[in-house]
Amino acid sequence: MENTSTNGVLTHLSLLEVRALSRGGPEPQRSRVRELRGEAEELRGVRDQLEAEIRARKRLQELRSSADPPAGELLPLMRRHSDLKQRLHVHHLIGGFDAVRTRQGRAVCVFVQTAYEGVFLETFNMELELKPRVQIGRHNIPPFIPLQSLAEQSHLQTDAGAFLSMLSQHLNAFVGRRRQLQLVQEQHRSVEVMESNLLCSVLVLLFTAPPEKTALLCTLKYADLGSCLPGQVHLDCEDSRLPESPEWRSCCDTLRKTPLHRALAGMKKSRMIL
Amino acid sequence: MQEKTGEENGDEVKMLEGHIEDLRAEIASLQRQKEELNRDSMLHFEGAMLDALLIVGGQTQNRDEETVMFKLKEEVEELEKDLHLQTEMNGISVDDCKIKTLFSSGREWTHQVCVSLQCSQMVLQVDFQITETKVGRGSEKKIVGLNVVLDSDELQNFSGFLSRVEESLDLPLLFRTLRNFSDRCDERSRTFQHFQETFPSVASLPGGCRSEVMVLRRPELPGCVLFIHWAVEISTEGTVVPKINLLTKLPEQALERFPSQPVGGAAEAFQSLLRMLGAEGAVESVLRALVSPVGGRSI
Repeated sequence: MENTSTNGVLTHLSLLEVRALSRGGPEPQRSRVRELRGEAEELRGVRDQLEAEIRARKRLQELRSSADPPAGELLPLMRRHSDLKQRLHVHHLIGGFDAVRTRQGRAVCVFVQTAYEGVFLETFNMELELKPRVQIGRHNIPPFIPLQSLAEQSHLQTDAGAFLSMLSQHLNAFVGRRRQLQLVQEQHRSVEVMESNLLCSVLVLLFTAPPEKTALLCTLKYADLGSCLPGQVHLDCEDSRLPESPEWRSCCDTLRKTPLHRALAGMKKSRMIL
Repeated sequence: MQEKTGEENGDEVKMLEGHIEDLRAEIASLQRQKEELNRDSMLHFEGAMLDALLIVGGQTQNRDEETVMFKLKEEVEELEKDLHLQTEMNGISVDDCKIKTLFSSGREWTHQVCVSLQCSQMVLQVDFQITETKVGRGSEKKIVGLNVVLDSDELQNFSGFLSRVEESLDLPLLFRTLRNFSDRCDERSRTFQHFQETFPSVASLPGGCRSEVMVLRRPELPGCVLFIHWAVEISTEGTVVPKINLLTKLPEQALERFPSQPVGGAAEAFQSLLRMLGAEGAVESVLRALVSPVGGRSI
């Protein structure tokens, strides 16, 4: 008696079990649902926060432009905060230096911005230790920039401002010369760059002059490392009379006074070079 | 029963998954809105400012206004210190600034920035347009337009340089040059004042200590006056060059009596002194020569 009824129930149960397992079962389903409900709740929280923020900003706009703003210190304080941030942003855009106090005021990390023809290029950073005396700490300024000699020349100890100004000038000039070279390589493929050094203070270019594709070797020396213009321009040619011609003398003059890529563009236009 | 739960669960899973997709899309759109607001005002709300913003928006739960104010005051103090440091570093004091968005898309935006500032005791209005383009994970900034108005007595001195800077869009050069110019003027002022104090009977600064001209005269020879003209010039490229000249003003009779060589050659001789001794040394030599008793060597 017992056997038959137990057998029947057991079989029935095992059948149900098989069916349930084959459908992936309610247990895994339930935990998946829990998982998804949790995720949905989290996302709703994020969305509500964003909506609240955006609404609040619109409200702030209204309050700021209203003729009768509510009393209290909060709004003026927020106003002051935004104003300070904006001024700091302006400094960041135009000042040339960003400075951050570090090590509880014992040092300043200075970021020197460089730009050429309006394009902002890389930023160099340098830590200036202030105590016990002003000293250059860690930095990422390339080794071919004469940092120590600049520090001595500008009396870093007594006038950190003068040192930073000189450093900025040198870095901007270096980056400017490098950018000019880049532009020459991009815009004037017919001019071959034979030689250039890391500091971009010596350049040797190969010009091809029409009509007979005469080769001229042009050496540019930038003796003043604080400048983007060469102090010396020298031309070499198999025909030694060519560089002495008035047209080529005038080209040398242009090369001394005009940024390289622009000078070459002018020379191409006037058919001095190909 | 279990079958039904299986099906219900399946439906619920699908519904939840759909709901989550919708939420993600909503969040993405809100994020974009927020980013646009950030870019337009060039301000990000975070930390104490974000709490304050939400209080203003009416979201006061979990936010105690007093605590938020306290934190905000702390942040403002830190920002003031930062601004003070930046002002010193850059030699620029920002009086007023307005930033407006001219153009904004997903990857590129252009701002119009109008700043009135002081640099080296000169008042300037600098207006420029700056474009920022997203490149990879960073961005490239470029100044695309620049206009500088200088309100100063030195305007003539600067006009060539300012035109060049507006063309070349070289903002860093503008401020470097202004700082340089101010340093050279300070140097002149210090030197002139020093000599006025050291040789009070001979040297005077009728135009004040910031003037370009120092007047030298011997009390016994009232008609004979020497001028040290110390100009600070700015080339179009932004090079700051002090130019110092010695000028003489002598009465006709004196010119007749003295051979022109020492008198006419005074200006040139001064230039030699400058080359040998530098500005201070050269001026000091002239002053010492004037102070020495009559009959001493002429300049």
